[in-house]
Amino acid sequence: MSMPVSFLKNITMDKSELTSRLKTIITTYTQETEALDHLNEQTDFIRDLKINSANLVDIVLDVEEDFGIEIDNDAMSRMLSVGAAIAIIETKLAAHDRK
Amino acid sequence: MIGNDLVDLQQAEKDSNWKRKGFMEKIFTRSEQFLINSATKPAQMVWLLWSMKEAAYKIHTRDTKMRSFAPASIHCANLVLHETEASGLVSYDKEHYHTQTAINSNFIHTLAVRKREQLQQFKVLIESYNPLSSAYRQRNPSSVSHHGRYLALVFMEYL
Repeated sequence: MSMPVSFLKNITMDKSELTSRLKTIITTYTQETEALDHLNEQTDFIRDLKINSANLVDIVLDVEEDFGIEIDNDAMSRMLSVGAAIAIIETKLAAHDRK
Repeated sequence: MIGNDLVDLQQAEKDSNWKRKGFMEKIFTRSEQFLINSATKPAQMVWLLWSMKEAAYKIHTRDTKMRSFAPASIHCANLVLHETEASGLVSYDKEHYHTQTAINSNFIHTLAVRKREQLQQFKVLIESYNPLSSAYRQRNPSSVSHHGRYLALVFMEYL
């Protein structure tokens, strides 16, 4: 049985790879190196990384481009922490695979 | 309560590319996008609407303790724009907020209140921001906002 290439690619993207790709995106928009060094699921984009809300939109757009997914406004409204972002990306990638 | 938001236009220009594909749709409603696209100064309109949304959002978050990042769900209406000031009505989650904005080539500052008459009860001072000093706190401002080169202090007017 053969699977579509995109399915294999996405299913093999584990959480650490996903997190490291997300971290690369976030790094562009924060000067808080300490919080960035200790990045974890609880890290808050606004409180801990001091990212301004205009740049939060940039992060959402970068995530859309990098992961090839669409983040609707409802999902975006919840994207306030690294953990929430990871959960949203995982859900969107899974939905993408089912199509 | 009140909310206020300050945009240093030079800082905004440096930090954000609002012309980026997809950016406007994530933040502005269709009618707000129309206002921006038909404005003689589109960048000014972007940051004017943005500061209205932010100022109203700050009241809403404080009142409800709910955090949510949904700028396109915060609607700006009744916008009256003059050379150096603007007023409007912002709606979010069934709540309404009246806004008063000061505009010049350096910054845009919006004050948002729940009741229109409250707009006359506050005085706004914009000063240059010193990251090393928090002396302004001793003057007991009702609300503070900072962005780039500037600091906005809102004081209640004693009648």
